[in-house]
Amino acid sequence: MAHVRPIATTRSATGIPTARLAVWWILASEVVIFGGLLGVYLMHRIGHPEWAEAASHTQTWLGAINTFVLLTSSFTAVLAHQAAEKGKGKEAAKLLGFTILGALMFLMIKSYEWYGEIVAGYTITANNFWSFYYTAAGLHALHVIAGAIIMGFIAVDAYRGRELHRVEIIGIYWHFVDVVWIFLFPLLYIAK
Amino acid sequence: MSENNDSHDDGHHINYRGIYFALLILFLISVAGPEVGERLGLPWITLVTAFGIALVKARLVINNFMHLAWEKRIMKWVLATSVILMFLMVAGVAPDVMNHEGNNWENLAAKEAVQRGLAEAAGYSDGEGEAEGEAELVVAAAGFSAATSYGQICATCHGAGGAGDGIAGAALDPAPANFTDPAFWNDPIRTDNLRERVLTVIRDGGPAIGVSALMAPWGALYTDDQLEEMVDFVMSFRPDE
Repeated sequence: MAHVRPIATTRSATGIPTARLAVWWILASEVVIFGGLLGVYLMHRIGHPEWAEAASHTQTWLGAINTFVLLTSSFTAVLAHQAAEKGKGKEAAKLLGFTILGALMFLMIKSYEWYGEIVAGYTITANNFWSFYYTAAGLHALHVIAGAIIMGFIAVDAYRGRELHRVEIIGIYWHFVDVVWIFLFPLLYIAK
Repeated sequence: MSENNDSHDDGHHINYRGIYFALLILFLISVAGPEVGERLGLPWITLVTAFGIALVKARLVINNFMHLAWEKRIMKWVLATSVILMFLMVAGVAPDVMNHEGNNWENLAAKEAVQRGLAEAAGYSDGEGEAEGEAELVVAAAGFSAATSYGQICATCHGAGGAGDGIAGAALDPAPANFTDPAFWNDPIRTDNLRERVLTVIRDGGPAIGVSALMAPWGALYTDDQLEEMVDFVMSFRPDE
């Protein structure tokens, strides 16, 4: 294949491989996006005692199962990275497949949970608590969807033994999505 | 793979399985936290098990799964800058968001939102499945009980026992009135025509008789008869002299 690699993918003044540098930069911006959103949620939650009533209706067990699913998918993602490090493309692809499965499971549980809330009348316009609930969890779910799609492409390449370094890159992103949920879970489901 | 063979990947072996099990155990503790806190009567346990454990879990994932611990220092600084900027933003707006009034301003919309929200919450508890549609502002006469209404609305700041020690009142300045303190009832501002004054404050808020503006007007919640019952209930906290 007469494909010439762009210089930007091989050159790095920082000593960090360019792809990894790029994903860290993305995450640095994500920290401000999610951090800002959760910070504003926390401030309102403390300043508005009436939110306690709305917060008491979130379904802790569904949130807990999803936490377990995401933690497990992070585990399979890091095992995929480990396999890629050893040059085992097929093994890495299989583990990425499990991670994608985790993403799908997370989204199915999330859909079931939202369906229940919406049918009960707790919609995004019900009050400010529910606005935050759907905005924060929705933005996070979009990240899950984006991650799962990208992971699909990387898994196909990895299966053919190509671009194995990308397994680590998608892994770093995926763990970040996990970390965001680690904070969303207590904020929306545990501290009532 | 050539891009991968930098020092970052050499020389450290992480027990991923061990980290994963540690994460699961921490997760179980965070789920059990509120239950334990409730049984022991120590609600702060939930804060530790929820947010303290979230920090530990995040650190485990960031260091061991994302390998930030082995990353070049510049990347840690870039991420730290983001975190600092985020905290600056939050700290900058926190005084305006978390307080609903200051020396020269008052956030009426926020105060009304609190009042409306608490009233809706009180309405919901009368029956399940009322989430749809507007909540009744006047608590249904049939199921009305001054004690219940006090518990749902007033106790948030004034405390279940009327001692001014409710959760939401802890941060208020001036502090919420302590109905069990004789000094409250002997304050010249309300000794003259006491009953009428208490009723006015509940209905029209603190400023109506020149006391704290943090005491919101609750008149919209009650019919006249219910207001009288609320006054009776609040006055029942008055210590015998």
